[in-house]
Amino acid sequence: MISLRRRPRDLPLSRDASARFLPWLIAFMVYLAAIALASALAAQKIADRWDQDLSGRITIQVPHAALSDAGNPAESADIDALVDYLLEVPAVSGVDVLDRQRSAELVEPWLGDLAGQAELPIPQLITLELREDLSLPEGFEARIEALAPGAQVDDHQRWIGGLLDFAQSIQTVALLVVLLVGAAAVITVIFVTRTGLAIHRQMIELLHLIGARDRYVAAQFQGHAFRLGLGGGLIGLLAAVATLLGLERLVDRQPTALLPDLSLGYMDWALLLFLPLFTALVALLTARFTVLRTLARLT
Amino acid sequence: MVRFEDVYLRYGRGPDILQRLDFRLEPGSFHFLVGPSGAGKSSLLKLLYLGQRPSQGRISLFGRDVSKLDRDERALLRRRIGVIFQDFRLIAHLSVFENVALPLRISGEPEGRLRAKVEELLAWVGLADCINALPATLSGGQQQRIAIARAVISRPSLIVADEPTGNVDDRIAMRLMHLFVELHRSGTTVVIATHNESLVERIGKPALHLSGGSLYQPGGTPLPEEALDEEGPHSREVNP
Ligand SMILES: Nc1ncnc2c1ncn2[C@@H]1O[C@H](COP(=O)(O)OP(=O)(O)OP(=O)(O)O)[C@@H](O)[C@H]1O
Ligand SMILES: [Mg+2]
Repeated sequence: MISLRRRPRDLPLSRDASARFLPWLIAFMVYLAAIALASALAAQKIADRWDQDLSGRITIQVPHAALSDAGNPAESADIDALVDYLLEVPAVSGVDVLDRQRSAELVEPWLGDLAGQAELPIPQLITLELREDLSLPEGFEARIEALAPGAQVDDHQRWIGGLLDFAQSIQTVALLVVLLVGAAAVITVIFVTRTGLAIHRQMIELLHLIGARDRYVAAQFQGHAFRLGLGGGLIGLLAAVATLLGLERLVDRQPTALLPDLSLGYMDWALLLFLPLFTALVALLTARFTVLRTLARLT
Repeated sequence: MVRFEDVYLRYGRGPDILQRLDFRLEPGSFHFLVGPSGAGKSSLLKLLYLGQRPSQGRISLFGRDVSKLDRDERALLRRRIGVIFQDFRLIAHLSVFENVALPLRISGEPEGRLRAKVEELLAWVGLADCINALPATLSGGQQQRIAIARAVISRPSLIVADEPTGNVDDRIAMRLMHLFVELHRSGTTVVIATHNESLVERIGKPALHLSGGSLYQPGGTPLPEEALDEEGPHSREVNP
């Protein structure tokens, strides 16, 4: 179906104006599609990571003001009582009290050196690992409130839910972009093919008179479209890869706490590399279908 | 081979260009089609090579009613007809080789067999040296012969030529005519439209006279069908 012979094509399609602008148009579309796809893949990855890290965990945050000895929380009585209580809860499999040093590290990306200073009112964080098979007892939060007034219990569900929604909407938008770009590409190829049929009407009539079937004529157009699609697709992909690698570099230089690892996996890259071929095939099929349908309407 | 039954042709809503065409061409026959300019010779040939549908009447080729063919069947039928167009219709951006090889390529001949066949045909029309030339670099008479080579390369059983001697002097015209006679001898049915009546006389083959859109005998009365069957005996030598 795809002939890559070196002999000149019967129809001089490569001299049409379309041969000059179509690859760039397709390059642009593939670029957009590749970036959109990469965003979708990255969003999926981030969502997976957060979901994995945060479910099965609860963070209790005791405000600085509630601590009896703001500078040294480990000696504070109500924190100890709180930890004792937490260790008794069957559903809790682990309790981790973050000391001041680690808390300061966590906020450092935002506050810089300031974080190390003792007078900074950093809240006390306690992370709980939960067992999946058991649920928390009735009155769990009330008990915590009693032991540490003003403490916030955060099971991250709202946060995770919001993030997952966000990731999902990024994916939906990305998919929409890919679909729209694909539709635009198909319409462009249809238009270009119809124009080609009109430009070369006389020569196509000659081919028919010599005994060419419609599919012989279609083969000329589809080969042409395939090449333009592949060429444009490769250009677009190259530009997209350059952009993504640049972005990845940029992300790598940032403090890791702010942005998760955005780099794509092998499968993601493979998917992106497949884009130009996919585009070329879509162009080929579109051209073929357009020619066959248009010619079949002739008497 | 060819049968026209009460065929009419008009272009769009115009007047009838051809009327009441009713004739039969036997396999292996050789006919000229003569008549003044504008008489409708090219139009009749167009009907013959399926370049145009009649507005009325029935045309049968190789025993098949052509109005009943689908697009693919028409294509296959056309491969058995070699056409030499009045304006050659060579493809300008293709070399002589590519032009002459085109019918073979279209009918799916293996690439390896093309060269030898094209060379043979070009030698036959006396243009072996021009195989790599572009049509535009050739004279009218040379292009004419390239067009002939393209028309006959796939050994069609019917050859339709529209003014194949229109652009050449009498000497070359006679040489070209002898090519057609040669094809005819090998069993091919030949129909040649021309207004060169002296050529027709010298070749000594029957002629269909077209005037005012109808066929006439030289005498003047409309031509009865049977009169065209005189070349009948040749039908035994038709190409497979
Ligand atoms: N495609 C067309 N559309 C409309 N009219 C046409 C078309 N082709 C031919 N005609 C008309 O049909 C008539 C016959 O034309 P045709 O070309 O068949 O004549 P001809 O006998 O071949 O003439 P010539 O000897 O000059 O080649 C002419 O009046 C011409 O104007
Ligand atoms: Mg004519």
